[in-house]
This record gives sequence, C-alpha cells and structure tokens, in this order.
Amino acid sequence: MGRLRVKGKAGAAKNYITRSSAVKKLQCSLADFRRLCILKGIFPREPRSRKKANKGSSAPTSFYYSKDIAYIDHEPILKKLREHKAFAKKLSRALGRGEWSSAKSLEENKPIYHLDHIIKERYPTFIDAVRDIDDALCMVFLFASLPSTSRLPFELVENCARLAAEWQLYVINSRSLRKVFLSIKGVYYQAEIMDQTVTWLVPYLFTQNVPADVDIRVMLTFLELYQTLLSFVFFKLFTDAGLVYPPPLDIKKDENGAGVNAFTLQGNSRQSSSKPAHNSFGSHITGKVVRQTIKNIAANSDMDGHDADMPASDSAPEADEEFTPRASSNDKATVTLPTLQTLSTLPQTLSTDLFSPFTFFLSRETPRSIFEFLVRSFGGRIGWPSSSGAGSPFDEMDPNITHIIIDRPLIEREETREQKELRLRRKYVQPQWIVDCINAGKILLEEPYGQGKILPPHLSPFGEYEGAYIPTTAESAPVEEEEEGSEIMEEDTEDREALDTVMQAVTEEPTSLRAAELVAEAAGVDYGAFEATVKQAHKRLGKETDSEIDHGESDMNKMMMSNKQRNLYEKMKYSRQKKEAEVSVHYQDYIQIVHCSSF
Amino acid sequence: MANGLGRKSVKRKQVDEEHETFEQDLGPNGTLEMLSDEENEGDVSSDDGQLDEFPEIVNESDSDESDEEEEEDGEEEDGGDEEYESDGAESDDSLHVFPKSKTVISDITKQPKVVYPEIEPEYDSDSSTEDAPNRVGNVPMHWYDDLPHIGYSIDGQKILRPARGDELDKFLATVDDSSAWTSAFDKNAQADKPLTAEELDIIRRLYAGENPDADYDPYEPTTEWFTGKGKEEVMPLSGALQPKRRWVPSKWEKQKVMKIVRAIRQGRILPSKPKSTSKFEPYAIWSERPSDYPPPLPAPKPRLPTNAESYNPPEEYLPTEEERKTWEAQDPEDRERDFLPEKYSSLRLVPAYDQFVKERFNRQLDLYLAPRVQRVKLNIDPESLIPKLPSPSSLKPFPNYKSLQLHHPDSRVRCISVSPDGSWVVSGDEDGNVSLWEIIVGREIKRWKFKGKIGALAWCPRTDISYFAVGIEDTIQFIIPPHIDNSVLSLTQNVLAPSTLPPAPASPSPVKWTTPPSNAWSLDTPILTIDLPASSGTPTHFCWHRKGDYLSSVCTGGVHGGVWIHQMTRRHSQAPFKKIKGSVQTVLFHPLKPHFFVATQQYVRIYNLSEQKLIKTLIPGIKWISSMDIHPSGDHLIVGGYDRKLCWFDLELSEKPYKVLRYHSRAIRSLQFHPTYPLFASSSDDGSIQIFHSRVYNDLLTDPLIVPLKILRGHHVVDGLGVLQIRWCNKHPWLVSASADSSVAVWCS
Repeated sequence: MGRLRVKGKAGAAKNYITRSSAVKKLQCSLADFRRLCILKGIFPREPRSRKKANKGSSAPTSFYYSKDIAYIDHEPILKKLREHKAFAKKLSRALGRGEWSSAKSLEENKPIYHLDHIIKERYPTFIDAVRDIDDALCMVFLFASLPSTSRLPFELVENCARLAAEWQLYVINSRSLRKVFLSIKGVYYQAEIMDQTVTWLVPYLFTQNVPADVDIRVMLTFLELYQTLLSFVFFKLFTDAGLVYPPPLDIKKDENGAGVNAFTLQGNSRQSSSKPAHNSFGSHITGKVVRQTIKNIAANSDMDGHDADMPASDSAPEADEEFTPRASSNDKATVTLPTLQTLSTLPQTLSTDLFSPFTFFLSRETPRSIFEFLVRSFGGRIGWPSSSGAGSPFDEMDPNITHIIIDRPLIEREETREQKELRLRRKYVQPQWIVDCINAGKILLEEPYGQGKILPPHLSPFGEYEGAYIPTTAESAPVEEEEEGSEIMEEDTEDREALDTVMQAVTEEPTSLRAAELVAEAAGVDYGAFEATVKQAHKRLGKETDSEIDHGESDMNKMMMSNKQRNLYEKMKYSRQKKEAEVSVHYQDYIQIVHCSSF
Repeated sequence: MANGLGRKSVKRKQVDEEHETFEQDLGPNGTLEMLSDEENEGDVSSDDGQLDEFPEIVNESDSDESDEEEEEDGEEEDGGDEEYESDGAESDDSLHVFPKSKTVISDITKQPKVVYPEIEPEYDSDSSTEDAPNRVGNVPMHWYDDLPHIGYSIDGQKILRPARGDELDKFLATVDDSSAWTSAFDKNAQADKPLTAEELDIIRRLYAGENPDADYDPYEPTTEWFTGKGKEEVMPLSGALQPKRRWVPSKWEKQKVMKIVRAIRQGRILPSKPKSTSKFEPYAIWSERPSDYPPPLPAPKPRLPTNAESYNPPEEYLPTEEERKTWEAQDPEDRERDFLPEKYSSLRLVPAYDQFVKERFNRQLDLYLAPRVQRVKLNIDPESLIPKLPSPSSLKPFPNYKSLQLHHPDSRVRCISVSPDGSWVVSGDEDGNVSLWEIIVGREIKRWKFKGKIGALAWCPRTDISYFAVGIEDTIQFIIPPHIDNSVLSLTQNVLAPSTLPPAPASPSPVKWTTPPSNAWSLDTPILTIDLPASSGTPTHFCWHRKGDYLSSVCTGGVHGGVWIHQMTRRHSQAPFKKIKGSVQTVLFHPLKPHFFVATQQYVRIYNLSEQKLIKTLIPGIKWISSMDIHPSGDHLIVGGYDRKLCWFDLELSEKPYKVLRYHSRAIRSLQFHPTYPLFASSSDDGSIQIFHSRVYNDLLTDPLIVPLKILRGHHVVDGLGVLQIRWCNKHPWLVSASADSSVAVWCS
C-alpha cells in the first residue's frame, strides 16, 4: 500500500499562496506588502488550475509562489517596515502629548532602509541592471518634470532632475544615442549601452496632468527603487568611463537654467591623464577643439579614399573655419551622389559624429532640452538664446553657425544687408531634420525641411512588426512606376485612365483582356506600356490564381486536423488576415491620398 | 408663634441698641453710610409693620388666640415705630440672626480683635424653648391631615386647624394682600406666614449669589502669622539628624552613569550620532563576483512605438471619422491602440499628452500586479499545421465527375442498390416506384410500381443468380430483373421458389413466406414475398450475408427490435434478439466471421451468432447513428451519425474510435467502403458526397491512411434532405447516389 496522500499538502496547493494569506503570513499591512512586492520584484503567478491552488475554491484571487513569500519573509526591509510602524506610533503619541523634545529625538532616530542589497539581488550583474533601466529612466524623466507638491517633496524632484541630467551627460559623453523618435506622447530615445538597447520616453515640456485615479504612492515606491538603481548604474558607468560620480554641480549655472551644462565632468585622478581629450568633451567645447576634430575626420576620410558619405570632407580643409555658402552647396551635391548601396554599407559607428562639422543655433521656440541633447550626442556644437537658459557657448551672431533650428512660419520682413548676408550664409531647418538625420545615419538634404515648408512624414526608426504596412516602400514603388511610364506618357492623363481600366480588366477576368487591349488601343496607348501594365497586374494577381488551384486540396486536408490544431490554425489565420487587412487599408488610404493630390 | 417672634424681636432690639452705641463710637461716617445704605430696608420694615396688620383678616376664624395676637402685634408695631424713629441702622441690625460682633483692640497683643457679645443663658435664649403654639414636635404633619386639629398646645389643648379658604379665597387673598408674595406656608401652623425681613434678606443674598451671612467680609486683610519680616522660623521643627542620603552621592546613580560612560568608551553609544537620513552614496555594487543564482527574469519591455505614433505620420495612418468615433466609443481596455494618430504640421504645435502619467502608472501596475506567463511564441507557418497527405491525383482512380443523372418522377429516392456484376442499378422512391437502370448509358429498363414507399433495396450478392429484395410496408418482395440469362433465371427461380419446399419449422413463425403459383409468375410481380408480422413498419435497411443466403432486415417498428434474419434456402425467418436495448438503426454481417453488428442510437454491439453472445460494445460518441459499414478486411468499421461525425474504429484496438472526422456541414446519411478499391464515401444532407482514400495495412503497427480525395457536389438539397444513399459499383471505382431531389447520379472516375 502506498503512502497516504493528504489533500492540500503537495503540488499546486502548496506551491501557491493567495495574496490575503501571504499578507497574513508576513504579518504586515497590505500597503507594506505592496511595497515589498514592488521593491523585491515579486509578481503574482497564474496557476495551471486555480481550483487546485485555492483549496477547491474558484473565487477570484491573485496567487503568489509560496517560495516568493518565504523569500520576502526573510527580507531585512520587512523588519524595518515593522520598526517604522512602531516609530510612527511613538511619534504620534509624542506629538499628541506635546512632548516636542522626545518627538524630535524620535524623528532623528527614525528607522530608514537602504535598497542596495535588493539591487544586488535583483540584478546580479551589471548587464542585468542595464537591461532593466528603461522603466527607471522613463519614471525619472517624468518626475523631473513634475511640480513638487506636498505629496511630492522638492528633494525628490530635484534628485530625479539630477539623475536625468547625469544620464544625458553620460549619453552625450559616450556617444551612445542611436535613435530618436518624435511621437505624440513625447520623445523616444534609444541608446546602446554595453550592447543593450535602452529606450526611454521623455514627455514634452508641459505641466503633466496627474489623474485622480493614479495612485501616487505606488509610483513613489517604484521611484524609490529606480532612483537607487540608477544611481548605482550611473556610478558604474561613470567610473568605468573614468569620470567622477556624482559629477559636481555648479549651483550658479543650475539656477540660471543651464540644465545639463550645470554639471562638469571630472576625470578620475588616476585616469585623467589617459583620456584627456575624451573628458574635455562635454561642456567645455571650444571652437578649436571642433576644428581639430573636423581636421582629424577630414584626414581620416582622405586616407580611406574618396568616401562620398563624408559631406564636409572636402570643404573642411579649404575653408578652415568658415562654412561659406559655396561649401554648403557643395555638400548638397555630394549628398545626392551616394547610391543606396553605398549608404547601406556605411559602418554604423561613423554616424556618432554626424553633426561634428556643424554648428547649430536654436531658435527660441525650439525645445532646448531635446535638441541640445541630440546635437551634442552626435558631436555637434550648439548655442541658444539666453531666453532658453544660460550657458550658451556662443551667441546668435557667431560666424561659425551653419544651421539655425527654427520652428516658425516664414514671415517676410525687412532686413539690413548684414542680416541678409548672415541669413544666406546659414541654413534654416525645422527640428525634424535633426531627428531624421540621426535616424537615417546621414546628413539629409536640408531643402524639404526648410523654414515654413511642409515636412515629409516622420517615421518610427524602431520599425514595425513583420509584414506590416511600410509607408516608404509604398512611396517608392509608385515613384518607380511613374519613372518608367514618364518616358511614354508625359502629360497624357487619358492614357493613365485607359491603363487603369486595363488593370481592372486583368483583375476581373482574363478573357476581358482582349477588350481592354482594344480600349487601350483606342485611347492611343503604346503597346509596350499596355503590356507592362498587364504584366504588373498579373504579378499582383499571380499568387492568388496559383494558390486557388491547390486551395481545394489543402482545404480537404484540413478535415484531417485534430481539434486543437484546427483551433490554432484558425487563430493564426485570423490574426494574419487582420494584419493583412490593416496593411491593405493603409495602402488603399495611401492610393486615395495620392490620387487626390495628383488631380 | 406670633408671641415667639415678638420676643425675639425684643431681644434683638436690645442687642441692636448696644450695637448702635458702638457704631456711634466708631464715628459719623460709618453711620451715615449705613444709613444711606439701608434707607430702603427701613421701608421694608415699615412695610413689615403694615403687613402684620393683615393677618387679622386671615385669622379671623381663629377663635382663641386672635386677641392675643392682636395685642402682640400692637406691641411689635410700637416697637417697630420706636426703632424707626431712633435709627435707620437698627432695622439693619434687626436683620441679623447671629449676635453682632465687636472689634476691639486687645490689651495683650495690641491688635484689633472681634468680640462677640456674651450669650445670656436666659430662658428666652434657647430657640427650643420658644413657645410655638403647636407642641407636637418634629413629627410629620401629614399625621394630622385627616384630623380637625393640627397638634397640641403646651397645655395639651388641641390646636384646631386654621380655616383654609378654597382656591378662590386664596387667590383673592393674594390679590388683596400686597405681602402675599413674601409669605410662605408654615407646616407647623398649617397656615401662610409672612417671611421676616432677615429671611427675605437671606433670600435676596442667595439670589444675588452673595454670602448669605450679611456680616461676612470676603475682603478682610490676611493676618500673617509665620511670614513677613521678623517672623522667619530659625529653629528646626524637629531635632532628628539629617539622613546620610542628603549629603552622600548616590551609588546607583553612579552605576547608571558609569554604564553609559563605558558604552560610550566602547563605542556602543555614539554621543553625537549623525542624524538618520535617507541620503546614501552609491558605490561599486557590482565589483564583487555575482552569486551563482540565475537572475530573475527581466520584465517584458513595452512595445516600441510605430509609425502611427509619430507627431507627423504619413496621412494614411490618420483615422477616418468613423474610426475615430468607434475608438472613442470603446472602453479603454478594448482599444487596440491607446492613442489616436494625429498629424501636426510642426513640432511646436504638438500639445502635451494628457495620458502620460496614466500610462506610466498602468505600466507599473502591470509590473507588480499582473501575473506573467512565459509563452512560447509559435513562429510557424499556419499552413504547416495542415497534415501532409499524398496528393489525391496520385491516388487515382476515384469518382470525380458525374457521368449520369437519372430522374424519378418527383419523389425522394430513398434507396438504391447496384447489381453484383456492376451493370444494373435499382432505385426506389417514396411513391413506391422501383426502377431498374443500366449503369453505363442510364437507360431505364423497367419500372415496378408498389403500394407504399420503398424503404430499402438490396441486390443479392450471389453472381450465379440475380434478384433483389424490395422493402415495402410490412413486407419484403423478391424480384428477378428482366433480360437475364435463361440459366441464371432458372437457377434464381429455383432458389426463390423451389419445387419442393423445405420442411416447415417446428414452431410456427410469425413471418410468412409466400410464392405465387408458377403459372402466375411474371416480370411485374415478385416471385417471393415475406410478410413480416403486422405493425412492424417499413423495412429501412437490408443487409445480405456475403454468401447470399442470409438477408437481415431492420424495420422501423415491431417486436424484437425489428431485426429479422431470413434464410433463403430454408425459407425461414428468425429474430436473433428477444429483446434489445434502444432502437436499432442498422445491422451488418461480418464479411469473414460469424459476427453480427447491431447499431442502436448510440452504441454498436458486436454479437457472435454461432456462440450466441455479445462480444463487444463500441462507443462512437455519436448522438444518433445513421449508418455503418465494415471494411472488406473485417478489421475496420466506420460509423456515421446524424450529428455530422464519422468514426473510424479499429476493431482490434479499442471500443473508442481511432479517428473522429467531422467535415460535413449536415447529418451524414450514408457511407460505404468500396468492396475492392481502397475507397470509402459518405453522403450528407448538405448535398455533398465525400470520397476518401482509405488504405488499411496488414502490418498491425501501421495506422490506416485516410486521405480525403474529392467532394462531389451536384445534388440539390430539398426540404433539408440531401443525398440519401450511396452505393459503390463492385468492379469499378464508380459511385451511385440517390438524392432527395428525385434523382439518381452515377459518378465515374
């Protein structure tokens, strides 16, 4: 006879524990339990069978692993939380009795906890930590932009702002920014740190609306963890880069709104000699340094041979520091030359110095926090008017400025000869140009991004899911088509209509092709053009007709599937169809828009 | 009582006089003040005088004492007058209940001291000796409530109850008597007595919240006995010695202090401990070797933004008005996207995103409240899930087109049968027509007309003879088709109507076999008729044993489950089952063994006919079985049901189906294995016939191969009924189907 099995002593009943029993076991309040779960990174689990895990009850509860709860039970923070509870009682009693001195001494000896051991537990290696700082960065950037209230002490906001600035400083310094996306929610940045992509979202500079149904306590608990995590990660990043952490803050500059510039990067004493050039980068960029780097780059590109992808390569040695209008027209010519192939073979590392030949000046309506960060991350120099904050390395009249980032509509106004000369020497671009250049990894033509122009669409650099509608391909395909056709039919719109009917005929029935041919002939369409369209239409239809033949066979084979497989198959088919429908909807929209705009 | 009061006042007067003298000694100021103070009091006393006159009226009824009282009153009045004349202060004095005190300078201490007058121990001085007329003492007066008297005088005379007027009198008295409001009820005298001036004064003082004693001075100067200059106490109060603890330092205090000192020295207590703050300095936390435990799984990252989220997306991403409306109408949980794509012409126009904090919060809720499940994402082509089966084109021949369609005069063709040589088809419809067709060209050779609808048709499988059975209401008719060989015809006639009938069975059977006389034989009439017992209904199913000697029939009603087995050679019918559970749908003979399959609504039972016992019960899991057929090898059985399922049983394996297929959209009506080719077909009410390739291997380890080959469509659905029966040709891969649209079709390869 086998051993007697007692119900509820093994298996799911023992491995899972409901939330209320977990709270009872830990002898803490639900709020404390929530705090512990957030800090320790413990989340509910879904048992295979809820009934088995909950003594036969199917009541809606959340389950935790019993071992996770046992793990919390040994947590030093739990003890601290209990101490804090006792402290709160003592303090309220002292305050109620008016014993101010004892209240003061209690307050001084308030139990506090540190989260460093939790950071070590949750992220045993540095890579683990870097992989998980996305949410932390989003939160820190959000809280850095929130106004301080009674719930949100000033120190917290200040600390978040400090961490955000330190992170930006590091990204600028390490040149690790890769992609930027201006979305309607905010600005997405993606950096590559230790081969891990770190993506964070920064809201636009507006007062954030904190809805009433947001529990700020939960957010603050997360923030507590994230601040600690980030400070450790930054410490490691800065010290590995041979920098002092925390970077010293110039309070005077900070008060004047210098932002990131208020921090100065200091090399560690032992490493400062080894990387002086690297460290000098940051806030002390002088014109000399820029010129030096430009020369270096030019020299490198000369050694490599005639690389068309370095736009400033030939202009830099001639015009030592002045970017004349002639030079800029030069680089327009050079930019148009490279074919797609040469661009695709571009090494990715080169693009980190994308803006190093240029000097930018921000117009006052462009958000300085975004574009200063972007330009400096890609090696450019940037200045801004004093209304955007202190610390601009140069003013608007600086002759080195090559680009003005401007976001104003174009207004005709009188200007002196000097101003005009200055205006002609510079290029006025809209902010999207910076972002699109970064995402493309090359300097794009300034022309479509000029002041007051209608901008080309801004696409996500992160790509879409597989098989999604891709606007660029839709755009390029018709362009090719038109290029082909442009030789034959230049201004004749009737031809186009006739060819449309041909396309229709092909899609409808192959037998009506003959009739369509006659129609085309009547319209005076070249036979070559007609054949080309027919071929295209066939190409579009080709797969459908092919598939129809064996469609019946596979349909019959479907009846031999098991129910499970059939359900899976139906699901996959459904999702695929949905995606395809979405793509086709987008495509049709596109066709419609193009059609509307062409007439 | 009036007497007593009078005496009292006399005594008071005497005291007052003494006092008066003293006051005069004090000086004119005090007197003057007092005088002015007490003007009104004087009035009161004069009132008092007036007041005293009234009791005459009140006490009129009093017989004895009224005179005395009057006298007394008169005296008092006189006295009052005297007082009034002599000094106003007197009236004030007269208010004092207590003897008046004097302040004199003490001879010994040279301090002023208060001297009270000596109490004269005279007869009058004690209040107890006051001669109140009623001498009952302090007893509850209600004892006298019912008596005419209220007590006894000092002489033992009854004191009669003073007359009390009724309420009206009382009221009048109060109206007339101005002093009525200052009088109170005297319990002892059982009458209203006016309050004296002192009593009124006490009441006034109490009312004003003052001390009731008029003489009490709340602000008298304190007398310092032990304080002040020159009065300090120099000498100790006791001569006891000082205790040691007053001047020796405490040992215990020292021990406590030393404990703290030691703790400080050892560093257990930090004297100037830094305040606890949440500030901490980061350090190189990842410098030491990480633990061997695997790190917890990182939280899934949120999805990266797509083109639709851009501030300036391509225009095809912008939602139409309808999409916008449906998005807004949806619950936030149901939305596919949490935002609506918008297009702004320049970056400066992009507004704040109002859901930013909310989205962050939701992400955090996901992080700590949502159960995480690791799902293996199936990155497979859905087409790869479809089983790979040999192509139908490689499994030819099978029927794939309709070669013929033959029509009955509008009535459902219920049943069909193909001759064993595969060249003739008989079909029967619900009007009672049985037609004989030639299978290749489709010519109708002959038509028989019966009464009632044809339930079943079955051609005898023997090739040396040729006839078929027709099931009509309660009977089974046997017919020899025309145009057959003479030898075959004679042999058939011999079999069906032998010249010498076999001996009749011992027990009389309810089934009657009748053959018309040989001279009446014709092509139009059946050569043999089996009359089933009455009310057994139409035979719905026939099944020949492979040797052609036994025919089993299933009827809709009747006893024994409607199952009969007829033996042609012995012209004998028997019911194999006395009683059977459920209504029998179809029956089958095993092709090789003496086994008999009976399908009831939900089960298929296999009986051994020779041993007369149940072998096995198959559970197809079908709600209502419609048809059944067995593979020629005898090891596989297919069962079709009205609930669209087709079950394939491997009889060697289990009573559960090896495979359940559900491909028809309506009920399966009929199915059959091809006798020679590896094919089977099923027909359904959806008007389609499905052809399968079914290869069965001799090797027991290999599963049978089932490949769907072809769906034959061409019959119409009439009144929800489609193809009612299908039969294979024995020698060709041809199929014949009977349909509810009154047609018979032949499907060829």
